[in-house]
Amino acid sequence: MNSRTGQDSAGLRARAEAASGGLPALMLSAERLAASLTVGAHGQRRAGTGEDFWQYRPATAGDTARSIDWRRSARSDGQFVRDREAQVAQSAVLWVSAAAGMEFAGGPDRVAKRDRCDLLALAVALALLAGGERVALAGQPPRPGRMQADRIAEALVSRMPLNADDDVPPAEALRPGQRVVLFDDFLGDPAPLLAYLERAAGLGVQGALMQVLDPDEEGFPYGGAVLFRSAAGALRHDTRDAGGLRAAYLARLAERRELLGRAALAAGWHFGTHDTASPPAQAALWLWSMLEG
Amino acid sequence: MLVLGPLGFLAPWLLAALAALPVLWLILRAMPPTPRRVLFPGTRLLVGLRDAHPVARHTPWWLLLIRVLAIAALIFGFAGPVWKPAPHLAGQGPLLIVMDAGWAAAPDWAARQARALQALDLAGASGQPAALLVADGAAEGALPFQPAAELAARLRAVQPQPWETRYPGDLAQLLAQAPAGLSVLWLSDGLDHPGRAPLLAELTRRGAVTVVPPQGPRRSLQLVAGDQPMLRMRSIGEAAGALPQILAMGVDPQGAPRELARLKPLQTEPDPGVDTRLVPIDLPSELKNRITRLQIEGQESAGAVVLADDSVRRRKVALVGDASASEGQQLLSPMHYLRRALAPTTDLIEGGLGDVLQASPDVIVLADQIGLPEAAALQEWVEKGGLLIRFAGPRMAASEHLAEEPLLPVRLRAGGRDIGGALSWGDPRGIAAFPPEGPFAGLAVPPDAAIRAQLLAEPSPDLAGRTLAQLSDGTPLVTRAALGQGQLVLFHTTANAEWSNLAISGLFVEMLQRLVQTARAGAASVEAPASAQTFWTPVQVLDGFGRALDPADPVPVSAADFGKGPGPGRPAGLYRAGERMAALNAGGRMQSATWPGARVEARAQTPGTDLRGGLLALAVVLFALDALGSVWLARGRSPRAIA
Repeated sequence: MNSRTGQDSAGLRARAEAASGGLPALMLSAERLAASLTVGAHGQRRAGTGEDFWQYRPATAGDTARSIDWRRSARSDGQFVRDREAQVAQSAVLWVSAAAGMEFAGGPDRVAKRDRCDLLALAVALALLAGGERVALAGQPPRPGRMQADRIAEALVSRMPLNADDDVPPAEALRPGQRVVLFDDFLGDPAPLLAYLERAAGLGVQGALMQVLDPDEEGFPYGGAVLFRSAAGALRHDTRDAGGLRAAYLARLAERRELLGRAALAAGWHFGTHDTASPPAQAALWLWSMLEG
Repeated sequence: MLVLGPLGFLAPWLLAALAALPVLWLILRAMPPTPRRVLFPGTRLLVGLRDAHPVARHTPWWLLLIRVLAIAALIFGFAGPVWKPAPHLAGQGPLLIVMDAGWAAAPDWAARQARALQALDLAGASGQPAALLVADGAAEGALPFQPAAELAARLRAVQPQPWETRYPGDLAQLLAQAPAGLSVLWLSDGLDHPGRAPLLAELTRRGAVTVVPPQGPRRSLQLVAGDQPMLRMRSIGEAAGALPQILAMGVDPQGAPRELARLKPLQTEPDPGVDTRLVPIDLPSELKNRITRLQIEGQESAGAVVLADDSVRRRKVALVGDASASEGQQLLSPMHYLRRALAPTTDLIEGGLGDVLQASPDVIVLADQIGLPEAAALQEWVEKGGLLIRFAGPRMAASEHLAEEPLLPVRLRAGGRDIGGALSWGDPRGIAAFPPEGPFAGLAVPPDAAIRAQLLAEPSPDLAGRTLAQLSDGTPLVTRAALGQGQLVLFHTTANAEWSNLAISGLFVEMLQRLVQTARAGAASVEAPASAQTFWTPVQVLDGFGRALDPADPVPVSAADFGKGPGPGRPAGLYRAGERMAALNAGGRMQSATWPGARVEARAQTPGTDLRGGLLALAVVLFALDALGSVWLARGRSPRAIA
């Protein structure tokens, strides 16, 4: 990835042009994806400001005369106030890992993990915005509206990858009541993520972990003598028989998933996986259901 | 040395390393292949994993073959392979090296030493004792047999001697300590020497004898004494083609030593087995007198060098005249003209007759002397080869006893003859042309030469035979007669301008030089004073290679030993005794040696072709191929380009 950071401004600009050229395509596919999701406000299952009837309750001191439901009060002696279900526009925070490994694609015909994450994140953002929610990328203030989708898309495309193997979601940006979706391969050091989940649970923040992997990472189709190198070059592993490592690797991968799943469950989060070879709609639907619930 | 068929190995134990080749094959086969480089984000999950079944990727067989071949070539190369090595000595018993160490062994001495050292190495390797017999005449007593390694230093120090190879006489004593089953290596100089046949017979009786003949021809140079000294060049084993020339070395007029002339061998003398040629020293006397040494070109041997001594060089001429004449006017003295004529080409001695006889001159010139008191001694000197030249003069003409005067070639008539004087008729006579067979043949007679007075010879039957030069009227001018080994010469006129103008012409100088050259120089001088115990002291000696050295320790040699030629204690060289200078030259008669009962090594024996260089080069080439092949392989598994 050094080659990327080392590019001169002209190269960066050319890349930005190319990326912005891909922006409409991303928006388009994200919109198509978002269209398949069910749109709606989120009932809070309690009285509050909203449009749906929630309950009648006896008027108490402090209720204004305007709030008394006269039609219901006429049927009895007391005065009743018509409560509506509390309806708040939720703020959702999306975070896509910028780790160097996210640029990985198992083959020239594959989608890089980062691109798939961008697509999923934007699709979810579009769906949420269409539902009137306030959405932002992590570290930015959530805003509603169509314009916010464009900003998010722009930020996703123009974001530069890190020259490191690990990227950590900003725990200090967590706010109570937020919904958070983390997109990552979660192949890095799990400790910061577990700390993040703990803090999120403490703040009452709910959300989902979306693990996006390349089929190569899921299947480990290597054999013979291989020198494995992490994307940033920090880690190496030399083997003479890569094929013999497959089972151990898959076991470790499963262990990692189980660890994440348990941690997510403990924090009230959801953990889902997706590989770039399968259609993105599946993952988008799953995410939507998780966010709805 | 290990010999397998036509192949020999100098260090055969190295071949044991070949046993390691199969092991090497396995090791090279299992060599870890270059890994494929893969970028993989999940590497963290792999860290710490162990390979369950490391599967070695095999090195391609051709690369393996190249490597194994290269290492095999290295092993074979360092084992010192020799193609068709020189065969071994006959027998493998205790080694006895006989080195001919005379002058004839000098030309290829280094090769002989190398051959002997090689044999010593072999004997040392097989643990056999060895002995070295250096046939330079110095070996005495029983020959000690030592471990071969201790002999090498002595063998390197041995040098050829400037005398003939000499074998020890007492063979039984010599070989007293010799063990049985000898293996003899005889490095011969190719010539027969006294005592060789008995030694060979004794050695063949005790063991196997291998004879290494010399490389190249053996040549010797000898001076043939005589009126005209010549050289005799003998050679054995001369290849057909151009004969070597004889270099005449000497000092040039500036005093720097240089090559003065090259002499060509001419006639062939019949001599079975030996190519013998005569080489005349056909040089102007000026040049000839400056020669210090004659040597065969390209033959580094004391036998191919002749040091010039009195016999080649200037004659010693004694002038005996009237000493009182020097008190008068110089130009009237006959001694003046003789001195001027002879000084450039000869060594002059002047004095009374008794004094100069002690110096044993080659020529004595008497100018108008009569009634000699030492006539007996002078006659003895002439009979031993001296040349006595006498000049007539007023005293002889006035003598009443001229008819009884001894030591004259012809009987003279008393009174003499005046021609062209004031009281005589006729004109002075010229000189007639010289007869073509006489010593003055070819000399040009100046037309103005005129003889005004002469002594006349009594007519006799042999007068014409004794006349070397005559006047235009037929009367003799120079007569000569032999006496013993010497000659008597009489000029019938004076040595000054009193009776003729001959003494002031160039002809006078030439005539005297011709006469002096006929003197038998040296012959008398070497043998003459044997009665008086003479000792010859070396002034310059030769080593075996014919190089001139200053004698480090000049040991005087008695005349009796001196006559036996060079030998131990009297190396070839220049010797001085008093005023006399004589050379002891090594070269002489040669005869080819025969070797009954011995194995003679093939003559131009090649030591075998050394294959080491080629094999090492092959190994290097194979390693280069291996490197290329490895690079080619690595190129095939370079990491994939990352988009």
